[in-house]
Amino acid sequence: MTRARTETIERLGMTVTKEKTSILHLGIDLGTSRSSVSASNGERHVVESFVGWPVDMVARKIVKKPVVFGHEALEARPMLDLHRPLERGLIKEGSEKDELAVRELLRHLISLTNPDGGQKVFAVIGVPAEAMRVSRQHLRNAVKGVADSLMIVSEPFAVAYGMDALLHTMIIDIGAGTTDFCVMNGRYPTDDDQRTLTNAGDSVDEQLMTLLRSKIPEAQFSIHMVRAWKEQWSFVGEPKRKVEVTVPVNGKPTTVDITTEIRRACESVLPPIIETMLDLISRVEPEYQEAVRHNIILAGGGSQIPNLAATLEAALAEIGGGRVKAVDDPVFAGSNGSLAIAADAPESDWEKLAG
Amino acid sequence: MVRDAVAENVAVMEGALPQRRRRVAGRTWLGIAVAAVLAFFLVRPQGRGLTSAARPRPAIGMASALAEAPRAGVDGTTGPPLSAPRVIDPAIFRLAVRKVVLDPGHGGTDPGAMTRGLREKDVTLDIARRVAASLVGQDFVVVLTRESDETRSLQQRVEAANAARGDVFLSIHVNSIPTQERRGVETYFLGSAGDPRAERLAGAENSGSGYSLADFRHLLEGVYVDVRHDESRRLAQAVQGRLFAALIHANPQLEDRGVKQAPFVVLVGTEMPSVLAEVACLSNREDTLLLKQESYRQEIAESLAAGVRGYAAARGATTTFARHDAGAD
Repeated sequence: MTRARTETIERLGMTVTKEKTSILHLGIDLGTSRSSVSASNGERHVVESFVGWPVDMVARKIVKKPVVFGHEALEARPMLDLHRPLERGLIKEGSEKDELAVRELLRHLISLTNPDGGQKVFAVIGVPAEAMRVSRQHLRNAVKGVADSLMIVSEPFAVAYGMDALLHTMIIDIGAGTTDFCVMNGRYPTDDDQRTLTNAGDSVDEQLMTLLRSKIPEAQFSIHMVRAWKEQWSFVGEPKRKVEVTVPVNGKPTTVDITTEIRRACESVLPPIIETMLDLISRVEPEYQEAVRHNIILAGGGSQIPNLAATLEAALAEIGGGRVKAVDDPVFAGSNGSLAIAADAPESDWEKLAG
Repeated sequence: MVRDAVAENVAVMEGALPQRRRRVAGRTWLGIAVAAVLAFFLVRPQGRGLTSAARPRPAIGMASALAEAPRAGVDGTTGPPLSAPRVIDPAIFRLAVRKVVLDPGHGGTDPGAMTRGLREKDVTLDIARRVAASLVGQDFVVVLTRESDETRSLQQRVEAANAARGDVFLSIHVNSIPTQERRGVETYFLGSAGDPRAERLAGAENSGSGYSLADFRHLLEGVYVDVRHDESRRLAQAVQGRLFAALIHANPQLEDRGVKQAPFVVLVGTEMPSVLAEVACLSNREDTLLLKQESYRQEIAESLAAGVRGYAAARGATTTFARHDAGAD
């Protein structure tokens, strides 16, 4: 039933139909690194989760906007009070600017979907599981009022829902701030079904930065450059090619081989991910463990690390083997799932969630 | 499932924590009662001349948490259903962090891990002294659970920490793992052991407590929601982050083994945010060589101190409005 419903959404809502209705359903993936939105009118957008405010009148004159988002904000960062509000998967408590950044980011994402005037916006927001677990009240307050009605769900649940992977499945969502695990048992996941590690994209960046500083102390590079290198060249296992980047060394562009460092930084997240994966499997009812082992889905940006799925399958071989696959569309898997939830929630439920 | 998601959101909007639905089967009133008794004996002061009058701080540790623990049924079919634990506003922890209890692992007749001329008890004491030196003078008061090579039971350490009314508790240990080529740092806070290795480690560190790990796993099911839990996790993240970031320079092969949960006795009984840091691996030859260097031990100590300072800063160390010694509590 769910699959049929999802297909209907994709056929009628997201890709073909531009029918005007009084309600616009949105699925939003509010991520540490990137945030995406999928709308029932077919709009899909992704922005980097950066929000910046011009630091002074001069900066405002140059950027020409009261608030700047995503890549544009990153590019103009010297002129901005730049915030990445969900660092480490959590909204920073006590930071009004980060709360405001979350609100502004959501408003921006909603505006990108071009709601018609008078159209009500019902949004499902997927957030890192850790944010759901630790600060759901805080998060709820932070997003209050950005839509006519909204629901917050954990990101791995949204991914599972969108893929109709609701039974005997494990989702491993490797984001920037956290790696979230969720075992789907055919019911809404409880805290016991979910785990969160802080070993994720950001920790890979930090480790790569440290390794490179140690290797070439005189080179000049920023964390943003390191992140870009990781996103372009990440891998685990044996290298298939040499990874070389050009960095200024004492002001002179110099080519540096960073193959070993990229590999070590990426592989640093493997032990905790493998340990947690195997542990969660061991906690599944024995008769369903094999099914879960063969239904492991990698989501999030980290899911695209070459050879990662094969490496996890090799670890599963120790306990009888299994299958790990990455989502086809890591950018929109979460927001599409959230949209599926939004479409399935009856209007009476949306009324309860208004405000 | 959508209905459950809606219900959870509505509960949050209404200010109530949604029902925490656990799959624990067979949990009984008897189990909770035994846990309460165990917790009471773990946390109560014994023979240290501390009367209840000398301990004015309301007990917000295990004993009181258990007193308010959910009344468990068996899968909701018999007895009262398992209700959601009472949520305590985390803001009550937004107090200044001033008194730090450092617990150098092992000591006296218990050497801990040993290899190549190094004993865990000596390393932990040395590092603890260095952490203390780093924190003292920066507006922190530091208490050590042992100040020399003396035998201290786990229960005595818990009692010492609680009697000192510390704001945070940091237990310092050095790891020893079967895979000798691996080395890394990891930090634990109280919780169900996430992996078999953590279970083995907790079992080893808990030896002498008189309780089996199986007992703990069973008995602690209901108390992980203790108010200290999230604070301990934050403290663990602060410590682990600084530890790894500081040591990777001198020890490039170091693994970030992350923040983990396990039921160490010293984390169970202490009444404050508590963590246990495994700062190196004595089973690894290179780590052992590094640990022999004073500069490396100092680096470890500085990073642990930085972790405590980072946590304290995040909790508002400068806004003191409820000091124990001011009688505010």
